Amino acid sequence: MKYKIYLKWILSLVIIFTVVSSVALGELSPKERIYDFANLLTKEEKMELENIANKYSSKRETDLIILTISDSMGKDIIDYTEDFYDEKGLGYDKSHGNTAILTIDMKNGDIYLAGYHKAEKYLDDYRLDIIRDKIAPDLSKGNYYDAFYSFIKTSYKYMGIRPGVNPENILFKFWFQVMVSLGIAGIAVGIMTYNTGGRTTVNAGTYQDHTNSKIISRRDTYLRTDVTKRKKPSNNNNSGGGNSRGGSSGGVSRGGHSHSGSRGKF
Amino acid sequence: MVIHYKCPNCGSDMVFDSESGMLSCGSCGRKDNIDSFPKENIKTTFGKNDAKEYHCKNCGAMLITHKETTATNCSFCGAGVVLLDRLSGDLAPSKVIPFTINKDKAMKTFRTWCKNGLLTPKGFMTADRVKGITGMYVPFWLYDLNSKVEVNAICTKVRTYTKGEYIYTETSYYDVYRNINIDYIKVPIDASEKMDDKLMDKLEPFNYGELKDFNTPYLAGYIAEKYNYNHQELLPRAASKIERYIESFIGSTISGYTMVNYNRKDIDTNKKQAYYTLLPIWMVYYDYKGSEYIFAMNGQTGKVVGKPPISQGKVAAWFGGISVGIFIGLKLISLLMGGGLY
Repeated sequence: MKYKIYLKWILSLVIIFTVVSSVALGELSPKERIYDFANLLTKEEKMELENIANKYSSKRETDLIILTISDSMGKDIIDYTEDFYDEKGLGYDKSHGNTAILTIDMKNGDIYLAGYHKAEKYLDDYRLDIIRDKIAPDLSKGNYYDAFYSFIKTSYKYMGIRPGVNPENILFKFWFQVMVSLGIAGIAVGIMTYNTGGRTTVNAGTYQDHTNSKIISRRDTYLRTDVTKRKKPSNNNNSGGGNSRGGSSGGVSRGGHSHSGSRGKF
Repeated sequence: MVIHYKCPNCGSDMVFDSESGMLSCGSCGRKDNIDSFPKENIKTTFGKNDAKEYHCKNCGAMLITHKETTATNCSFCGAGVVLLDRLSGDLAPSKVIPFTINKDKAMKTFRTWCKNGLLTPKGFMTADRVKGITGMYVPFWLYDLNSKVEVNAICTKVRTYTKGEYIYTETSYYDVYRNINIDYIKVPIDASEKMDDKLMDKLEPFNYGELKDFNTPYLAGYIAEKYNYNHQELLPRAASKIERYIESFIGSTISGYTMVNYNRKDIDTNKKQAYYTLLPIWMVYYDYKGSEYIFAMNGQTGKVVGKPPISQGKVAAWFGGISVGIFIGLKLISLLMGGGLY
């Protein structure tokens, strides 16, 4: 009898707690960053991406926005993205502030990436091209979640790297740093272990009689010369990998906000 | 035949003193030059019938020796004795490098070496478990070698240059011939069966400035052995030892080419001279956690060789330390270049 009352109390407490906490959480992240108008994501995926976007946006003080559309209403994807930014007043720090947007047009198979303010500086046309090349294969295969996740993660990573520096430099890669560290340490310890038994300290000169060791006769006869030629490689291919279809196109929106950009297909 | 060196003053047994390079008496401190030591104080006794059996002149005890032993200490009275018939005829050494490091100094050098081990366990670094240390003259052959070398090679020089739209690669071929004479002096090869060849090789170099004509008093107070292999048997080892030296010499005579392809390389190595030489080596026997470790020390230079125990913990610590250090270094470099910290 008694414990039934307790159970009621506990149940109601739990309910109150969940409601309050969910309200509180909602207040903590009121911002929407995933605008999935084309319904490419499940509810869970969208929630997940919202959380991830929230986390990484605040780390770089830049809103990382994903926008999917099924019908652009006759507008070009660039205009659509610019207008979306202007109308919504996107931005982490202020209205029309630091923002990076990934727009997908499902009808035309267009991708467009744009960076405003801080993101315009850190995610310039070149870096956006790299990100686009990275996510395009996933989009083609229909792995939308993976592509969006990769967009958020890569944008976040690139924004930690000084503008103008190649973000894909192998020295910046975590795995490379770890491999090199372990490799060098392994070699060093290996040499140390090898040398514990004593090193050989004689060399070619130790026992050589330098006065009597000499060349008695030598001959260097010229035989022939072969000449081969090949065409100089042209050096005007500065746009990323072979997957790149499209190119860089930053600009200024109708609302007067300048941005970097990269457009392409998937 | 057994030799004792008796002190002209007090009649005690004298031993070779590595510091002064003279025979010295442990009782009265008298020191005698080896070359001018009075003949009448060299006591020699001949074995009667069995040449394998030797008796100490002092106490009459039988000297128990291996058949290779040429100098030892009497296990009863401690007198240093030299077994002369094992050092005569074919077995007579022609050269010797006397010990310059005595027992105390050898122990000290060994302790310092143990302390400096980067990977050795802590318990080993204290060097307090030395079971025995023995001064030993190890038989070596010192070879004077002459190599006649003839090589033929096709060599190329490659030059690239750009003219207009094209990159030109110009490859010139040369027929190269070299006739070389190389001499090597006193290449040491250890002639004792029980000594590890690799260990002995690592003990080099010996300073040949102190190479002396052999004289038995140098052996008094030390262990000495006779060779197990004669100089003909060990010549192939000597030749193979200098082979890579010859290779590097050949390489140094052909320079200025991009690529060298040998199509003939005749190396003919001959012995000019082989000296039977005794070289001074301290053998250190060390007990650590139930197993015995053997180290050899160059009795002239103090260089120590031999595999010490290795502490897994220290290996791990070095590995961890170095990898973390390099990782931080790489992070700093990438940060300087504009990369992100995380």
